[in-house]
Amino acid sequence: MKWPLHDRAIPDRKIPLYNRFYLHAPRASHVDPVMVWGTEIDADALTSFLRERNRGGRVLLTTAHALIRATAVALAQFPDMNVRVVGRRVYAFRQVNIRMGFVHRGSREIDLLVVRDADAKSLEQIGLEVWERLLQASRGTGPRDRDRARLRRIPGFWFRQVLRIYGFVDRHVRLPTLGRLDELRGGGAMVNDLSFPGAPPMRSYKPTRFPDQADSLNLTLGPIESKVVARAEQLVSTGVMPLFLRADHRLVDAYQVGRFLAVVRDLLSHPERLDLPAGADATTPANK
Amino acid sequence: MKPDRQRLEADLLHFVQSRGPRYAAVAPDTDLLDGGLLDSLLLTDLILHVEGQHGIEFDSHHVSPANFRTVSAIADLVLEQFSPRPPA
Repeated sequence: MKWPLHDRAIPDRKIPLYNRFYLHAPRASHVDPVMVWGTEIDADALTSFLRERNRGGRVLLTTAHALIRATAVALAQFPDMNVRVVGRRVYAFRQVNIRMGFVHRGSREIDLLVVRDADAKSLEQIGLEVWERLLQASRGTGPRDRDRARLRRIPGFWFRQVLRIYGFVDRHVRLPTLGRLDELRGGGAMVNDLSFPGAPPMRSYKPTRFPDQADSLNLTLGPIESKVVARAEQLVSTGVMPLFLRADHRLVDAYQVGRFLAVVRDLLSHPERLDLPAGADATTPANK
Repeated sequence: MKPDRQRLEADLLHFVQSRGPRYAAVAPDTDLLDGGLLDSLLLTDLILHVEGQHGIEFDSHHVSPANFRTVSAIADLVLEQFSPRPPA
């Protein structure tokens, strides 16, 4: 049994008043605390870095692995973003765990995985772990796959009741994780790499929230596009990737979202910094 | 049984080319990584296909750039699984 959240909630006096307006707003107010901030990253730098690393590395690295690492490093730098709401209280996560969505090739549906302590793992370690999970899922042989198969056998009526009760309890009580299926609640940030070949240009994207409400942040990377930009007073064509961050106004303000996103963007645009050891300052002075 | 290299390579090539128009011109030595053609979906599908066809199993340590750079390299990786291993 693991407790993904710290024992005590963050005291109200430490939560900014504006966030508390959202946190304690009555349902009748139809409050919408979801914020989305979209930006772009320098795709040329990221693809060159991955190409170089994939010349001789032990593990095939992708943009998804870079996104996991960048999000984890940024979360370690901004621990006030690694939190979730339970009832009307805010709790901090014990670890920097990152969830990732992927296409489950065995069942042909979307599934999620969690990379634990992602801020303490190298890009290669993250890559190995993700590939291991993807291969397990493609064969349907992973322990989590057996749990999913059991869940699938629950009749529709009972599935809905279980989900309702579980959802209610999870929203109001600081629960431990008991099994492989609810371990996802241990990750406060979710990443989604939608830069697959053939994906249409992404102008806007609003990531959804999961019913478990533990994923307080979602970062989604879109496909590469060519764009003409001004550099040293010259117009040049460069590759860019859209990056969207969904956050929760009950927990953070727009300026925090902007600072956090700037660090993720900076890391992905200067990906050599993803190789720095955990705890090293990986940001440019402008983002401090 | 160890597959014939030519047939194995042709099978892998057909599998990759059938992904869509972007893949139609892929040759045995086309660099799938530099060309941005190999994503996680294609890679896992390729592994699943090979495992199903030849009764072998890969793990995450096999997912290296050298093993999946070209169709030819993937064929080498498959054939390697049938080679006798030196005693540890």
